Amino acid sequence: MSSEPITDLLSIDQGISIPDVLTRHPEKIDVRLVGERCRYNIRVQREDLDAVRAASALDLPDKIGASSATQDRKILCLGPDEWIIVAHMSEAARLRRTCRDISQEFTLSTVDISHRNVAFSLTGSLVANLINIGCPLDLAVDRFPIGKSTRTVFENAEIMLLRESKTGFYLETWRSFAPYVCSFFEKFATATQYDTNT
Amino acid sequence: MLLIRCPYCEEERPEVEFSYAGEAHIARPADPSQLNDEQWAEYLFIRTNARGIHYERWCHRHGCARYFNAVRDTVTDKLQMTYKAGEPKPDAIGPSGGDK
Repeated sequence: MSSEPITDLLSIDQGISIPDVLTRHPEKIDVRLVGERCRYNIRVQREDLDAVRAASALDLPDKIGASSATQDRKILCLGPDEWIIVAHMSEAARLRRTCRDISQEFTLSTVDISHRNVAFSLTGSLVANLINIGCPLDLAVDRFPIGKSTRTVFENAEIMLLRESKTGFYLETWRSFAPYVCSFFEKFATATQYDTNT
Repeated sequence: MLLIRCPYCEEERPEVEFSYAGEAHIARPADPSQLNDEQWAEYLFIRTNARGIHYERWCHRHGCARYFNAVRDTVTDKLQMTYKAGEPKPDAIGPSGGDK
């Protein structure tokens, strides 16, 4: 067996196209499809957390809703014992090795969900309003500060949301939900084009 | 829309993220084979159907994905408190709307 799995060599077409209206006024709304990423869902018991962190060098945040990020990867704490790692494909082989190593030492679960999700990067002064058309969370920066992440819903589709800057969000959803989610972005952007107050 | 406090996330979240999961504190019989049909039916189907204070389970399905318990007044639909699964049944706060 080759040491480099074939998924590291091929990149997939994620099958989502972003309508023009979502990039026409990037200072207000700029929605981009994030390229292919590898994703790992990790379930660790709380009592093992410190040891797993030490053994894996993964910066698993403590609190639900917290996140940690480096240039190449983000780690989100989604639940009391649940984390998700989203990383560049170049990190995939290394993360798989890490997952394999820690699962030999600890009772935990690591699941590769790389191609289950697609991600959007949303920036601009209106993107909080854009997300709020389908998501009832309060996205004011003092209630949903930079670095906060959560699983939630957007027009009944489950999404994962991370605030990366005051006017920038990272949004993931299941690949099959993505055209549906994107269609609501498009409707909002089209509607605001004609609204002179925004 | 109700705002429900998730005891795991420790914040109030919109109702659409949650799903209801029936009455709380119903223990599965330790040895089901010892039960007759009537007792088993009682465990499976018979519920308090309270008018007023009701102890019930919720799941923060589209959030932390955890089940927890809540105390809700079925008359006013106000959630009095929520607490983690496995914690003892707390006393309800004040009289229920159903007592009026």
